[in-house]
Amino acid sequence: MKLARYELTLQPRAAPGPMYAVLTAVVAIVLALALSSFLFRSAEDGLFSAYRAVFSYAFFTPRGIVATIQRSIYLLLCTYAFLVPLRAGLWNIGLPGQVFAGALAAFTVPFVTEALPPGILIVLMVAAAAVGGAVVGGFAGFLRARFQVNEILVTMMLNSIFFWAVAYMIKEGGPFMGATAEGEGFSLPPSLQAPMLLGVPFTAALALAAAVLLDLLFTKTALGYRIRAFGESPPAARYGGIVPLNVSLVVFLLGGAFAGLAAYHNFAAIPGVYKIPGNYGFYGDLAFYGIITALIARGSAVGAVPIAILFAGLSLGARFAQGLLRLTFGVDYALLGLLMMTFVASHILYQFRIVWRRVPAAVVQPVPTGLPGG
Amino acid sequence: MWDLLARSLEASTIFLFAALGELVDQRSGVLNVGLEGLMLFGGTAGFIAAQTTGSLPLGFLAGLTVGGILGLAHGFFSITLRGDQVVSGMGLWILSFGLTTYLGSPYTGPLGLGRIPNVLGISPFFLLGLLLVGAVWFVLFKTSLGLAIRSAGENPAAAEASGISVSAIRYLCVIFGGTLAGLAGATYALSYNPVWTYNFLLGWGFISLALVFFSMWNPWILLAGATLFGIMWQLSLSPELILPGVLSRYVWRMVPFAITIPILVIISMPWFRTRWGLAKPEALGRPYVKG
Repeated sequence: MKLARYELTLQPRAAPGPMYAVLTAVVAIVLALALSSFLFRSAEDGLFSAYRAVFSYAFFTPRGIVATIQRSIYLLLCTYAFLVPLRAGLWNIGLPGQVFAGALAAFTVPFVTEALPPGILIVLMVAAAAVGGAVVGGFAGFLRARFQVNEILVTMMLNSIFFWAVAYMIKEGGPFMGATAEGEGFSLPPSLQAPMLLGVPFTAALALAAAVLLDLLFTKTALGYRIRAFGESPPAARYGGIVPLNVSLVVFLLGGAFAGLAAYHNFAAIPGVYKIPGNYGFYGDLAFYGIITALIARGSAVGAVPIAILFAGLSLGARFAQGLLRLTFGVDYALLGLLMMTFVASHILYQFRIVWRRVPAAVVQPVPTGLPGG
Repeated sequence: MWDLLARSLEASTIFLFAALGELVDQRSGVLNVGLEGLMLFGGTAGFIAAQTTGSLPLGFLAGLTVGGILGLAHGFFSITLRGDQVVSGMGLWILSFGLTTYLGSPYTGPLGLGRIPNVLGISPFFLLGLLLVGAVWFVLFKTSLGLAIRSAGENPAAAEASGISVSAIRYLCVIFGGTLAGLAGATYALSYNPVWTYNFLLGWGFISLALVFFSMWNPWILLAGATLFGIMWQLSLSPELILPGVLSRYVWRMVPFAITIPILVIISMPWFRTRWGLAKPEALGRPYVKG
């Protein structure tokens, strides 16, 4: 692009450093927050009070802080579900479907038997949730690896299939329908409610440990190297002896398992829930925050932790401000969209360097003045 | 039964519009996986415009315009900036999903305008769809513009060497594709089911995307696929017309999505790709860097 005597060009960056990744992440988030001011334009007390309502509820009230922690665990586990396949260059947008499958699998355990000791049943529920999510994720990974079926399309189809599968199970006389028959799943008995550690569900420890382990996996192990190599260049990885089927299957199995664990956390470990609620679709939508978290964190699981906490607080605070200030429904959804938009913009800054170059004045060729010889 | 068929054809048209635009997009080498987002935004813009002005034509115009603008945005990222087309497409989808929920929320409910009259019992959009299929086929395979589009998608370097501006051709196609996606969304929101709810499409855009692969990038096969899926979608909404009392309605709602997966597997198998899949644009999804 030319402006007067200057030319603006984008030149690819060779290898952006980690500080640059942090900088672009901060730019994306700040820009999204600035743009979100249009969401609060109808707030009677002004913009500042709207922002204050969002942040003060999520991060400075006891109730809000607990809710933020609980939601950030859910978002973190969803983030890993997207992040692991992403490191192999694959897009797992099937988070909602895998969350729903994990929820159905977890609640199948108490549905089938309550005769075992509660501790064992809780472990079985956690394992079933992970397996449920992994099977659904692994199915997409297998199809991708074996037949080159587009994983975006398959996982999206699975989202819809499991959305309706949950409706079938919990609504209109479905097997999992609760006693109140109000279109939601049965409630867990108190003995099967997840144990708490320091006032938060034990799944918080799982989520934090997983962040460290995942980054170690990618940086220090042969499997992590294979996944990253495949993500960078599948033909080169294949040439180097890496089997695509194995990589695709492993990343989707692992990703699906994390989505299943997110389901267990959200529906069986958060105090006051302990069932598949009628508005389960909302939690499927919320899982998409995992996509944007992983993208902004540029594939770092540990880096995703503060971002997930921030997004958890923002999504909760936005919903709170929406009620308090009588804003239009969907502020939290709009924020998700804005974050995605600013991420794509920051991605350009991450990939390219903007270069201004002064265009040299056109060199005028001397006009021949001499007469031709002869 | 006639009503069911007429509704099925109208549903087919929505798949057809979106997929036809994407087909042209892909023929030029640009993949837009955010088709659902363009449809959502086009439908929501059309609904808001129609309800605000009381005019259906203005609603359609808004849907087409917004779709075209989003197509252009995808083009800017993927053609000018040579960015990852999947990142851009996914970005557009999530952006649309989030923003339309907020922007459309005050308009939740029925449109409240009159229905668009049918022609001999058939939606006029289906007839428009047939015309568009014929026109796209003619342009793609019988004109020099079509040759330019196909060569931009097959071998952009050779196309550029022969005097074709690959960027201009690709921009033309992404704007056309976006406009048709906007039309698809507007047709859904203003004619097929004129009631706004958040995320009202629930996967129509992704099925349309799958249909493009299924069609082997041929508009006539696309028409057949869209018709088949339109009928299947309508049957999944009213299964009692064919099999009363068999299975829950929720199970039927899974059927179109469940059938899409084996179809995707079949068209992805090596023997199928070798025999039938050669039409896939060679440079699909790859940014073009002028040599």
